[in-house]
Amino acid sequence: MNDMNGCIHLNNFKAAKGVNPYKVVHAFFVACTSQEARMYKATACLCFVCSQPGPRLHSCLHCIYFGCYEGHMQEHSKTKKHFLYIDLNHGNVFCAQCQDYIYDQELADIATRNRLKGAKSLGLSAPFMSWVPNANEAAALRRLRKRRMISPNTTIGLRGLQNLGSTCFMNCIVQTLIHTPLLRDYFLGERHKCKPSGAGKCLVCEVSKLFQEFYSGAKTPLTLHRLLHLIWTHARHLAGYEQQDAHEFFIATLDVLHRHCMNGLEDVEKKENGRCNCIIDQIFTGGLQSDVVCTCCSGVSTTIDPFWDISLDVAGPGSLQACLERFTRAEHLGSGAKIKCSNCRAYRESTKQLTLETLPIVASFHLKRFEHSEQIDRKISTFVSFPAELDMTPFMSSHRRAVDTADNNNGPEGVFEDNRYSLFAVVNHLGSLDAGHYTAYVRQMKGSWFKCDDHMITRADLAEVLDSEGYLLFYHKTVLEYECDV
Amino acid sequence: MTVNNTIAHQRLILTGDRERFKELLRRRLIECGWRDQVRMLCRDAVKETEGNNVTLDTLVTRVTPRARALVPDTVKKELLQKIKTHLLTQKEH
Ligand SMILES: [Zn+2]
Ligand SMILES: [Zn+2]
Ligand SMILES: [Zn+2]
Ligand SMILES: [Zn+2]
Ligand SMILES: [Zn+2]
Ligand SMILES: [Zn+2]
Repeated sequence: MNDMNGCIHLNNFKAAKGVNPYKVVHAFFVACTSQEARMYKATACLCFVCSQPGPRLHSCLHCIYFGCYEGHMQEHSKTKKHFLYIDLNHGNVFCAQCQDYIYDQELADIATRNRLKGAKSLGLSAPFMSWVPNANEAAALRRLRKRRMISPNTTIGLRGLQNLGSTCFMNCIVQTLIHTPLLRDYFLGERHKCKPSGAGKCLVCEVSKLFQEFYSGAKTPLTLHRLLHLIWTHARHLAGYEQQDAHEFFIATLDVLHRHCMNGLEDVEKKENGRCNCIIDQIFTGGLQSDVVCTCCSGVSTTIDPFWDISLDVAGPGSLQACLERFTRAEHLGSGAKIKCSNCRAYRESTKQLTLETLPIVASFHLKRFEHSEQIDRKISTFVSFPAELDMTPFMSSHRRAVDTADNNNGPEGVFEDNRYSLFAVVNHLGSLDAGHYTAYVRQMKGSWFKCDDHMITRADLAEVLDSEGYLLFYHKTVLEYECDV
Repeated sequence: MTVNNTIAHQRLILTGDRERFKELLRRRLIECGWRDQVRMLCRDAVKETEGNNVTLDTLVTRVTPRARALVPDTVKKELLQKIKTHLLTQKEH
């Protein structure tokens, strides 16, 4: 069972009957690629002798006889001299002559395709498949002998950033982006391939280089002259912005990167239902639903807008969850803010509620600690606690709808949806409004935190992170869904 | 299996919910590191076997008891809770 070319018995069988018997049994009784298949599996997957669904029910590949592995399958193989069986739980092929399971690349590929189809027919995300190097990658691995081991104590990817004269607001955002898991994977995987015309002017290329430098293994602090210059020239409104606010810089950077993603060879016009599909939007964009309900006729008008982050009011001490609860609470718009109801054809009072229709992979929260008004500019240092693990389910449109209609049996969807997030970066503003300084905490690996203070990187622990004031909070989806491509 | 059990079992397959629960379980086992632990157990079992004659059956008999014991209680509880809730809400229809 060392290679992927099966055994002589399986090869003879394939030569005589092809792969179709395997394909059909697998599609119907293992992966269930359709509703019809599920019906067959539900009613027919029982041992022909003892009528039990297991343990380890197998199907004879020669005559589609179902038997339990320990007893009736072995019996069938002796009396009928049929030697090949499919494990109906996992789809592996057993050869009774070799008395073991047999690997066969062709059958393995069929099984993979069937599993994807099965997942798709149930609306499930594609099953996880571990990385297998293609021919190029395997060659590269053989050629490049140097290996870098990632241990729990590794400090790879950690580099300070020189302060070029109050550029800490920028350094902390760069540190956050560098430590955004999916963005890191995208750039270290060299997924951005630039058109020739973009050369030298493309900010995505620049960021790609920056990732390589961060993870090169060198430890000396980096200087971001070029990046600074590029973002500056592309987001001019920032250059004139005196406050040099980390939040503004974050949004401006996403915006510039999203625009420059169009330089990518593979990113051209990749739009799905009007939404940009660039790496920035794939990671950071969510959908905010706004429901305006007329108090007269209860007519609802719903709009959904994309968002990159959520700005939350800081009204007294509390928690991030409380801020989100307030953010998604229905709010009565008074008589001063009447909205034209298309149903009543008149201006009416209404209630408005914001909920999250779709969640981004990275959920970014901005605590509005800076108050700018005609009279006064001030900073609100009120304590707001935030968790290391956050479940976003209560703030989603689907959940709110179920709660409002007191529809408690939210069925399997509610059971299976997974909206858990883990904290991976926190940007803090220290000091006063006019003499402030920005630092960032970043999670380098699970449970391993570091504080980035311009050129200085020091180890931190989670308690310290959770104790900090918090200005920008970044959460990464804990479990990623895979898309079905079949 | 009793008649009731069989019906519940068939229904879970028919609706695809068995597959959904399986997927949820698979995810949780990967998340908590169980799969990696079991992979290491298998590796050790293969190394310990004399003469390189490892079959799946020998692996299954060797590793299964330890692998079962390694499934975290939180995962068992979550699955049990979710399956229970799910079956109860189904009955009301
Ligand atoms: Zn049997
Ligand atoms: Zn047979
Ligand atoms: Zn054989
Ligand atoms: Zn580029
Ligand atoms: Zn975009
Ligand atoms: Zn109305």
